[in-house]
Amino acid sequence: MTATEEETVHDDESALAEDQLELRDIVKRFEKPGQGEILVLDEVDLDVEKGSFVSLLGPSGCGKTTLMNVISGLVEPDAGTMRRGGRDVSPDDLSLGYIFQEPRLLNWKTVAGNIEFALEARDVPESEWDERIERYLEMVNLGDEGDNYPTRLSGGMKQRVAIARALATEPEIMLMDEPFSSLDEITARDLRQELLDIWNREEKTILFVTHDINEAVFLSDTVYMMNTEGKMFARRDIDIARPRQYDDPNIAEREAELYREFHEQVVE
Amino acid sequence: MDRLQRTLYGVASIVVLLAVWYAGGVAFPEVLPGLLETAAALVVVLTTPGPYDNMFYFHVWKTIQMLFASLIVSMIAGTLLGIILGRSETLESTVSSWIYAWLAIPSLVIVFLSAIWIGFNAKSGYFAVPLVITPFIALNMWEGARTLDEDLTEMAEFFGAGRFQTFKDVVVPQLAPFLFASFRSGLSIGWKITLLVEAFLLTRGVGFMFRRYFDQYDLPTMMSWLIIFVVFLIVVEYGVLAPLHERVMEWRPDAEGVRVTE
Repeated sequence: MTATEEETVHDDESALAEDQLELRDIVKRFEKPGQGEILVLDEVDLDVEKGSFVSLLGPSGCGKTTLMNVISGLVEPDAGTMRRGGRDVSPDDLSLGYIFQEPRLLNWKTVAGNIEFALEARDVPESEWDERIERYLEMVNLGDEGDNYPTRLSGGMKQRVAIARALATEPEIMLMDEPFSSLDEITARDLRQELLDIWNREEKTILFVTHDINEAVFLSDTVYMMNTEGKMFARRDIDIARPRQYDDPNIAEREAELYREFHEQVVE
Repeated sequence: MDRLQRTLYGVASIVVLLAVWYAGGVAFPEVLPGLLETAAALVVVLTTPGPYDNMFYFHVWKTIQMLFASLIVSMIAGTLLGIILGRSETLESTVSSWIYAWLAIPSLVIVFLSAIWIGFNAKSGYFAVPLVITPFIALNMWEGARTLDEDLTEMAEFFGAGRFQTFKDVVVPQLAPFLFASFRSGLSIGWKITLLVEAFLLTRGVGFMFRRYFDQYDLPTMMSWLIIFVVFLIVVEYGVLAPLHERVMEWRPDAEGVRVTE
């Protein structure tokens, strides 16, 4: 048996752990003018299992976005490791898509042009562009808007374009940073439902940042809770059967429990 | 207002101007050259060779050459300078006061100094005109560079866009309105400086023609030259700049033919 084969056997045994993204002891300090150094991430641990929907829940300004940016490579952590399958990985080794709080579209490019921008940046061969653009615009129900400009779309539609742009790069893990927080609740609910459908169908892993407890409970398999000191103080699984309904009393109950935990944290 | 209406208003304003001019020429002939006299002078300018046997288009061409060569140089230098100022706080605090000092130098002084340093030839013009307009463009582009959206830069960085792609698709489109504004102000300031250079230092170009007919106290011919160049600038604006601007800014929500969905 060759060394490679041995490796394969070993991989099979730990197939579950292999695909799990593990962050350990991530520390990040920021220099703030007038306030000196502030600790944004205080030895944070995070496990993201392949195919799961994981939410990072916490009040505004608690470092959730910073943690996302550490994973995406936009922020360099001061300490800590990122591992997958027992090996250290850098953001470049991961296949990631990012959906920001704002759509962050290039208003001077058409909807299709915005997706092309990401495909070009990711060095996707040009021959695949048209097919991917069509497929992913269709997926977010914007099949007819490819030639339209983002400035002529509503807020919800713009965020859909941003989702299509991230999907078009065909990432394994989708990072979503409060993507629905600036939308009206009706639009946001539609988009959450569509997101769950896509997640289900495309078998993506989603890491979702939110400050909305209800949103976190409705969407997630697992919720990580952070406080304003940059500590990840709890990990809670949401064992509510899918598809979930907004008016499910289980959701309201779980939401109340998580809120109590937050409240206790703040009081302490 | 639809297109026809706008055209009608435009034609009406020209007719009113001509009427006022005609009346003024009759009332104050020593101040304002008569409309008909000017028309006659214009025909002469357009059909017969002037000084040194050069036709009118030779002079216009020479002026355009100096003006646009200077504009190209200034657009490049001013844009680079402006972007550097807008992107680097260190440079902004050290260099910005120099820009204001530069702007404060009267263009006439720059033209005279160029003549002393370089001589009474076209090279002085190619030196002086860019020197005068570059700081205006730099100031404009500096403002533009300060408004660049960091979020979009971050987005481009996340997707792994290279320097060139980021510049082409993210930076330049954000600067486009500032580039147009810069070009327009560069054009209007530059044409005045080009004229100064030609009037004081050279023996060709529209500026030289102004001085020559000023020396002869020939008001109708001076007026004809003014008309020729103003018409040229209007053609540049409405024939080139405005359509180009509209095309580049097509994506804006207030552009014509907007289709708002949902």
